[in-house]
Order: sequence, then C-alpha cells, then structure tokens
Amino acid sequence: MKDNILEIDNLHVRFSTFDGLFSAVNNVSLELKYNESIGIIGESGCGKSTLSFTVMRYLASNAQVDGAIRFKGENLFDKSEKEMESYRGDRIAMVFQNPYSSLNPSLTIGFQLDEVSMHHQNLNKIQAREATIKALEMMNLGDPKGIARRYPHQVSGGIQQRICIAMALLCKPDLMILDEPTTALDVTTEAVILDSIKELKDKLNMSLMYISHDIGVINKVAEKIVVMYSGEIVESGPKQKIFENPSHPYTRALINCMPRGGVVKENTKLNTIPGYVRKRGADEGGCPFADRCEKRNETCESLYGTKEIGEGHFAACDRAYATDVPDTFIEKLAPKKRNVDTDFDSEKELLKIEDLHKIYGARRKVYAVNGINFDVKPHSVLGIVGESGCGKSTTGHMVSGLFKPSKGRILFDDVDVSIAWNKRDKETLKNIQLIFQNPGRSLNPSHTVEKIIGRAMQKLANINDVKERREKIIEILRKVDLGKEYLKKKPRQLSGGEQQRVAIARALSISPSLIVCDEPTSALDVSVQASVLNLLNDLQLDTHVAYMFISHDLNVINYLSDYIMVMYAGKIAEYGKRDEVMENTHHPYTEALLSAVPEVDPTKQKKIIELEGQLPDPAKKITGCPFAGRCHKQVGEICEKEYPPMVRLSEDHYYFCHIKP
Amino acid sequence: MKYFLYQLKKSPLAVIGIAIILMWLVFAFIGPSIIPYTHTAMDSENQMVGPGMAGHLLGTDSLGRDILARIVYGSRSILTVALLTSIFSTFVGVVLGFSAGYFGGKADTFFLRAMDILMAIPPLVLSMVILGILGDSSIVSLTIIVSIAFVPATARVSRGVLLTEKSQEYVSAARIRGENHLYIMFVEILPNTMGPIIVEATARFAYSIMTVASLGFLGVGLQPPTPDWGMMVIENKPIIAQAPWTVLFPALAIASLVIAISIFSDFVSKVLIHER
Repeated sequence: MKDNILEIDNLHVRFSTFDGLFSAVNNVSLELKYNESIGIIGESGCGKSTLSFTVMRYLASNAQVDGAIRFKGENLFDKSEKEMESYRGDRIAMVFQNPYSSLNPSLTIGFQLDEVSMHHQNLNKIQAREATIKALEMMNLGDPKGIARRYPHQVSGGIQQRICIAMALLCKPDLMILDEPTTALDVTTEAVILDSIKELKDKLNMSLMYISHDIGVINKVAEKIVVMYSGEIVESGPKQKIFENPSHPYTRALINCMPRGGVVKENTKLNTIPGYVRKRGADEGGCPFADRCEKRNETCESLYGTKEIGEGHFAACDRAYATDVPDTFIEKLAPKKRNVDTDFDSEKELLKIEDLHKIYGARRKVYAVNGINFDVKPHSVLGIVGESGCGKSTTGHMVSGLFKPSKGRILFDDVDVSIAWNKRDKETLKNIQLIFQNPGRSLNPSHTVEKIIGRAMQKLANINDVKERREKIIEILRKVDLGKEYLKKKPRQLSGGEQQRVAIARALSISPSLIVCDEPTSALDVSVQASVLNLLNDLQLDTHVAYMFISHDLNVINYLSDYIMVMYAGKIAEYGKRDEVMENTHHPYTEALLSAVPEVDPTKQKKIIELEGQLPDPAKKITGCPFAGRCHKQVGEICEKEYPPMVRLSEDHYYFCHIKP
Repeated sequence: MKYFLYQLKKSPLAVIGIAIILMWLVFAFIGPSIIPYTHTAMDSENQMVGPGMAGHLLGTDSLGRDILARIVYGSRSILTVALLTSIFSTFVGVVLGFSAGYFGGKADTFFLRAMDILMAIPPLVLSMVILGILGDSSIVSLTIIVSIAFVPATARVSRGVLLTEKSQEYVSAARIRGENHLYIMFVEILPNTMGPIIVEATARFAYSIMTVASLGFLGVGLQPPTPDWGMMVIENKPIIAQAPWTVLFPALAIASLVIAISIFSDFVSKVLIHER
C-alpha cells in the first residue's frame, strides 16, 4: 500500500451520448509504485487517454465515473475542484500530444513557464524566471535564456514538446502523465525526447504514466506495461514478461502486426487483426476482444476474468496460457510469391526525374525540393523516406500532377509530363494515380463509394455503362476485401481502414501503371496499417503496378520497398536497393534515421545517434551539405561550403557525402 | 433526421419556433378559404370595432376591413416574397462566391471590393433607392431588388465555406482525375457546404421579411390593394390611440414570424454542425 503512488480501483468511466450510454473505461485497476514508469498501450478508441484524463479529473460533463483513484492514499474523487487545483500541475503533471496547441501562441515561452511556478509555488517574478531557465536546461535545450524570450511558433515542434515537458517539471511533480507526447514528431526528435524523459525520471524521482500506441516507444520508457483494449485492461505485467511471453491474443496480435527490422515483404506477410475497435455499451459483458479474436470460442462472450500467469503478470484470457506454444506467438504467414521477375530489372525506366526543383511562394521563397534525379522502374516499389519537411510529399505531388515543378523534368514513359493536372492528357492522368495520407479527407464525404470509384472509371477509363461499371466496382471492391454492401455507403459510415481501402480501390480501378502513395498508412492504427500494407503488396504483385511509396516510417518503407530513397531538406541523401541501403548504410543521415527507430524487441538495445538542431531553414538556398549542421560525422569546413559529390557504390546504390566509403 | 428529433426534444424553444412557422404556413395556404371576409371587403357598419366584436376576430380598421383577413392575405404575399428572395439571393450568392473563391487571384480581389461597396449601403436603403427610381413595386420587382441587396452577404458566406473545403484532399483527387471547374465546384464541393449555406438561407428568409415589412412601412413596398403587414402598420398609425389593435396585430405578425424563423435558423445550424 505504502509504496504505491497511484492506485486505480475498479474504475468505470461512461459517457452518455445521443447514441446511448457507452463505456470508455471499464473496470480498470492498476497500481503504480514510486519511481516506477508504466506504459499504457492500445489502439485508438481503447480508452487510454480517457484513463489519463480521469486521473487529472479533466472529464466532459456527460461522463459518469465510478470507482476510486487514490493518489498517495487519498481518493481524488473526494476532492473538491479547489483542492484538485493543488494536484493538477503541482503534484500530477500532464504532457499532451500536440505541443503547439498546449502552448499559447501569443505569449512568450518564458512568460508561460513563469506563470506556472508563480501560481503553484508563489515565487516572485525573478525566482520564477530562474526556475524556468533551470527547467529548460534540464531538457538539454541550448540557449535557454534565448528560448524563454521567444514565442512558441519561433521554435520547432520537437523543442515545443520539450518546453511542455519542462513546464510539467517546474513544480517537481511526483507523477507525470505523458499522453502520446512524441506521436506528432519525427523519429530522430522522438529518440532525443525519450532519452531525456528517461534520464529525468531517475534524476527527479518521478513516477511516469506513458501512453502510446507504439510498442517501440513504450519499450524504451516503461518498466511495466498495461495493454488496454476497448476500455479494459487485457494484459499487464513487467515489460520483459510481456515481450517475452505475451499471453493475451490482442497483445500478441499487436506485437506481431508491426513491421520491424528484418521483416520484409518477401519473407513475411504481416499479421493483422480483422475488424476494428467497437464502442462498447455500458452493460456489455464478456471479452471485449472476442469479436476480433482468432482463438475465440463460446465461452468468450460470457466468461471474462483476469488471471495471474507469472509473477505480477496478468492476462484477461481463458486460453492465454493453455495454448502457449512458441509457434502461436510468432505466427509466420507465408507471403504471396512474386511472379517471375520478367521486366523488373529491365533497363527502361517507367518514371525518370531530372533535376527536379520546387520553390513555393513568390516574395518569401521556400525551397522545398532542390534538384533531385531518380527513376522508378516498372513493377517495382520505390520507398521515399525522410522527416517532415524534407520534400518527399512535394515530390510525390509533382509526379502526380497536383502542381508544376519550378524547374526540371518529369519523364513518364519517355513523355515529358512536368506540367500540372490541367494540362496533362487523359492517358497520363489515368496512368499516374495518387493515394493520400488521410482517407477521410481524400474521399468526398457527400458521395457514395460507388460514385467515388465509379467517377474515376467513367472519367478516365471511359466505362460509361452504369451496369458494367457497377460490376467492375464490385470486382475491385472484392479485391480490397470489401463486400457489395459498401456500394451505397458514404465515407463517414466506414472505419479509417475501410476508407483507405476505398481510396486504394479508386486508384486501382482504372489500372494505372504508377501509384504515388503519400503516407497511406500513417493515419491508421498499427493493426489496420498491417492489413493495408498486406493489401498493397498483394495488389502490386497481382497487377504489376509500380509504387512510389512515401513514408516517414523506416520500418514500413523497409517492409514494402524494392528501392529506398532517403531524402533530407529537398535533396537525396542516399538511394539504392533496399538491402543495400539497410545493411550497407553510408550516409550519416541514414545511419541516424536507422538508429532512431524504436526497437520492439527488448533484448536488442542499440546505440542511438542523437541529432541535435533543426532542419536547415527552407527559405535559404543551401550551398553546402544540407545535413552539415546536424551531422555527427562532419569532416570539416568542406561540409558547410561545398555540396557533397555523388559516391556510387554500385550501379543502383549511391549517396551524397564528403566521406568516402 | 433522428438526431433532428432528438435535439428537438431537448429544446422547447425550437418547438415553439417551428410551430409558429407552421402556423403561418397553414394560414397562408388555407386561411382565405375559412375566413368569411376578403382583405378588401369593407364592412361599412362596423368600422374600427375591437377584437371579437361583430364577427371580426381581430377587429376592423377605419374602413371596416377585417384585420385578420388582411393579415392572412398579407402573409401570402410576404411569405412568397421572402421565400423567393432567400432562394434567389442564395443561388446568386453561391454562384458568385464560389466562382470568386475557387478561381482566386484578381477575380477574387475584384469580387471582394465590389461586395464591400454594395455592403457599405444598407440593404434597406439600397432597395428603397432602386424602388424609388423604378416607381413600381410588384412581388416580382420587390423580390429581385431585395435579393440584389442580400447577395453580398450570401456571396461572402459561400466564398468562405468554399475556401475551407477547397483545400481538402478530395478536391485535389478530383483535379488529378481531370474534372472541370464546374464539376469540382458544384458536384464535389457544393454538397459539403450545404450546411452553412442552408443556415444562411434561413437567416436571409427572416431578414427579407423584415426588409419587405420595412419597405411597406416606408410606403415603397407592395402597393395597395395587395395587403402588406408593414403597410398596415403605417396606414393605421393615425388611429393608433382609438384602435390600437389595428397596429398591434400586424406588428405582432411581423415579430412572431421573424423571431420564429431566427430560432429555427439557430436550431438548424446546431443540428447541421453535428452532422459534419
């Protein structure tokens, strides 16, 4: 009892809405010891955030709460609003997902941080500023005095989030709740922040409650893991045990559906979880995961209880340990085999990019893409990876014709198509298709699935007969694993994964030869991401279409690509066949990117190359190496002054750096 | 629809508003067939009788005309003008606002300045001036003129909602499918902007009742013998001390209809926001 800082007892949170009463958190009990860090993991809609908001008692007015949350033995539900004030921010601090919406854009950073200690600790202005500077220093921010004078928009997202954490640290809280603090950030920034969180936790003797959907991230910061599904805890226990012996089918599925190091399309098909997280009514019983579980039987609907499997390791499944043979854990699904590589290695390129530039704006210029050359071979997948702002999406949009390049040429099947959509001919529009990041926004909310897919066919494939078109649409829907009943549905009635399938169906319906996929899975949950990746792979093998696959996630790129192109600040850093780039990495940026990817396997610990600083200012033309300012291997002045030459390692593998192999 | 009823249950004010609007619609449709008088019939024996006397439910005016009959007949003309005005001004506003917002650039700047100029003149004054010059005010000319006066407002609202939709990815998707501008504007974007446009149209409906009644009050609205609520107020102003009901009832008619429509408009916007 005494060594628990936080105890949650049989917590229920229900919301009464127009559709009736539904349960967001259901019978959750957990304990957090002093100086312990707990990771809460689950897909979106699993009640992780509601749980954390309940601890802070930030709940909407239609919430009904039942149970107890004891912080150092005192039940927070018994406190008045006034008393809660001394807990919020002071003893329990919280960091939210979006740093730019948690900071006030019209006040300086220093002012906002000072306010916290002036309010909670009654410091005067000078003392408060001292505390502010100290907190900023703790987050390893260079020039804390300068940062305190600036406004939130004048610093990057990563620094903003570190400021938010510094703000949470100001009152030296005993418990810090972090709600997906790095989800909106780049991997390299994420790595730096996770490291400093870990360091500070030990230094300040804090307890942490870390919420994330990413197992890799949880693996880095948490000692104890709680897996939540549809408002309930399905498994909990020490990190090592959960990773070595995941016992609940959901935990296994979650771990297995992530593409990770070594998993590539040729050797493994990703595991998926069919269906999606349902909203649960207030009085539904049974296992919440039953409807998606592969191993369900009749007892699942009624029987439900938590059992201790090992020391401190609980799982809420009847068969969790009965069928515990190793092969059920890593179930390898055989991938679809590639047809004979007929023209895969042919000399002729499908798409050839020559010296492509894109400069936005007239008066204040933004150099988005600064002269890149590459090509896409027919029937292959080119993965383009890089952090936000590296120009990868701009490149994809220029290829698909959303806008015209400022300079350079795009040759598609030897035809110059470096023009915008309104000047392109029908044939080109048909042959290059684009799949957007957010399916909710790329499908017209007022149109039915039939109209969305049918219009593309009518417009570009000249299928004008309604009946013929409908048959073709049903056929293509079947290919993306959707049934006939979807024809009359509108995007709003579909889940995120289903929406993206419709978007894929739309792109494929007119048999293009190149599909530009602009982060098609990054708005989706991991289990849905896995099924979309499987689908994209299968479809590519069936139809021989080529993909230009753009993503910030190196694991996804690694899984799906034949060729990988790493971009940085509008330039190519490294290009090559997948295995060459992944195993024989040469560019320092690629190395850093690879090292920053959170490892899922807890037995493997790798050294992270920490990248300090920010991307170069896109408003300035860069003469030297764009990566020079952040590079850990800089060789000298030459890096800043001269653009590095291309170093060719093999016919298909090259990189741009002053360091020779 | 289900949500509409759910919200309706929670807000009694909206129920009252909708009931009043329905009541006026019923009056306008079947009122003339159940009221024993017409709006021009003069009961020379019963001039300026109070409400409920001599078979006149709301009394008569100085010429012995039945107030109720005049209000009911007046509701027909005012509802016709208001409905046509709100449809017409919304239609023109959407076309203008969409074109300006969609194409942007110089056309948009020109559009904005032109609308600023029109907006600088209050709709009432603008309508008065045009009507004064024309010297003729029938239902048709009144509709056209009030519509013109309302176009700047509806056009700006349409332009605003188009701009937020224009940046959506489904518009990009339509572009690289080779769709023409008209298709993108009216088939892709328009259905998704219907919410705010409908709200604006219902608000315009209330405004046009106010404007038509005001014009009638100022004597440049519908001309006799067409009955008009605003005109009834000014006609009977000299006898307000002796027969206050002659002014009170038409004024109440105007107020009840305008307020009911405003309440309805607020309610519709609340429901439509949820829909999105």
